[in-house]
Amino acid sequence: MSLAIPGSPGRRSAAGDDRPAPLPRSLGRTGRLVARVWRKSSVAGLAVYALALGGVLGLASADWATRGGYPFGGVKVGAWTAWPRAGAANADPYTRAVNARRGEIPLAVGEGLLLTAAVDDQGQALDATCSYRIGGGTPPARAWTLTVAGRGAREPGRPAVREGFTSTEVLRSADGRFSVVLAPEVQPGNWLPSPRDSGPVRVALRLYDTPVAASVGSLDRESVPAITRLGCAS
Amino acid sequence: MRLVNLRFVYATLIGLVLAGIVHIAAVLAIPRLSETDAVSRARTSENLDHPQPIYTVATGDEPSPPEAWLPIPDPAVAVGVCAYDLADGPMRVSARTGPLSLSLAAHARRGAFYAVTDQAAVRGALDLVILTRAQYDEALADDDENDPSRDVRIVAPDNRGVVVVRVIAGLPSQRPGANAAVQAVSCTTDMPADDSAGKPAAR
Repeated sequence: MSLAIPGSPGRRSAAGDDRPAPLPRSLGRTGRLVARVWRKSSVAGLAVYALALGGVLGLASADWATRGGYPFGGVKVGAWTAWPRAGAANADPYTRAVNARRGEIPLAVGEGLLLTAAVDDQGQALDATCSYRIGGGTPPARAWTLTVAGRGAREPGRPAVREGFTSTEVLRSADGRFSVVLAPEVQPGNWLPSPRDSGPVRVALRLYDTPVAASVGSLDRESVPAITRLGCAS
Repeated sequence: MRLVNLRFVYATLIGLVLAGIVHIAAVLAIPRLSETDAVSRARTSENLDHPQPIYTVATGDEPSPPEAWLPIPDPAVAVGVCAYDLADGPMRVSARTGPLSLSLAAHARRGAFYAVTDQAAVRGALDLVILTRAQYDEALADDDENDPSRDVRIVAPDNRGVVVVRVIAGLPSQRPGANAAVQAVSCTTDMPADDSAGKPAAR
C-alpha cells in the first residue's frame, strides 16, 4: 500500500503526457477541424487506409513480379541462365503466372532446355553496339539453336536478316567447335547481326531433345558457349 | 497525438499484411483467370483435325505471320497447337516421323505434363492418346489381350489443355517442310462410337 502512494503521482504525470498535445496555433481553424474529423472518424478512416494500402501494394507487387521474365527458377551456368523448370508441371507459381500472362509455351523437360544470357562472361550487360564472340561447345543435344533478340517488340522498319543459327547450319572448325560473332557490322564466318541499333540484347540457346534438361546441375562453364566481348563501336 | 500515430502504425502494418495476402492470391489466381495463356488462346482450334499453326517459320521472302502470340519464338522451329477438351472424349494425336525432328508436348494449365520426341516412335508412327483417369481405366478394360494397343496413353490432370507440336528446321531449305510437318500431325477426338466400330475391324 505504502509503495502505491509514491507511485501514483508519477503515473498521473505519465498519463498527462499521453493526452493529445494542443495543436500549434499556426494550423488555424481548418487544421483544427481536420484534426477533429480525423480523430472522430479515425477507426473507419484507418480501416479504409489499411485496405487501400493492402490492395494497391498487393496488386502492384504481383503485377511487377509477374511482368517480363521469370523471377526465379534459373540456374546460373557461366554467363548463361538455364530454365529447367519453366515448362514443368511443378513450376513455381510465379513462373506459371508469367507464362499465363505472356501466352508463352515453354519447352517441357522431355523436349528441351532454354538457356538465356543477358551478360557476357565478365558480367557486363550485352549491348547492341558491341561485338561478341559466342563460341565453344554445347551440352549434348540432338539439335540446338542460338538466337538473339532485343528486348520488347521488333522494330517495324528493320529488314529481316538472320536471327539465329541452328546446330545444322553453323560453320564449325575442325574439332567440331563453333564460333559465332554477334556484331552490328558484317563479319566473316558465322555472323549474327545485332537485332537493333542500340540498347540491351539477349541471347538464347535452346537445346532440343537433350539429356541435360533433367540434370541441369551437371552443366558447368566449359560445357556452355563462352560469350567474350570483342569491342564496342562507341 | 501519440495515440493517433500508434493507430496509424497499426493500420500500416495491417495494410502490409493485407498486401502480402493480396499479392499471393493474385499470383496464384493469374493462371486461372488469364485469358491470354496458351490454353485459352488455343480454344479456337478445338474443332480442327490438325494443329493450329501458331508459329510458322519464315520461308524465303515470306516472313513469319505477325499474329503469332509467342513472345520470343525460336525462328527455326515451327509450332502448332491442338486444343483438347476431354469431356468430348479422349484426344488422339498421331504423327508420322519424317526427316525433321519433331516433338509433342502435352500442356495443361499448370504446365507441361508429358513430352515425347519422334525418337520414341514405333515403326515411324507416334500415337499419343490423352485421356482422363476414367477413360484410361475404360481403355484398359477394353484392351484386347492378344493384340495390345501400341498407343502411348497419358492421363491428363485437367479436362482442358493443349498438345504442342514442334518441328525443327535445321536448314533454311527445310523450313517449308517443317511448316508442312506440323500440319501433317492429326489431332482427333476418339468418339465412343468410333471406338466400338474400330475395334472389330482392328481384330
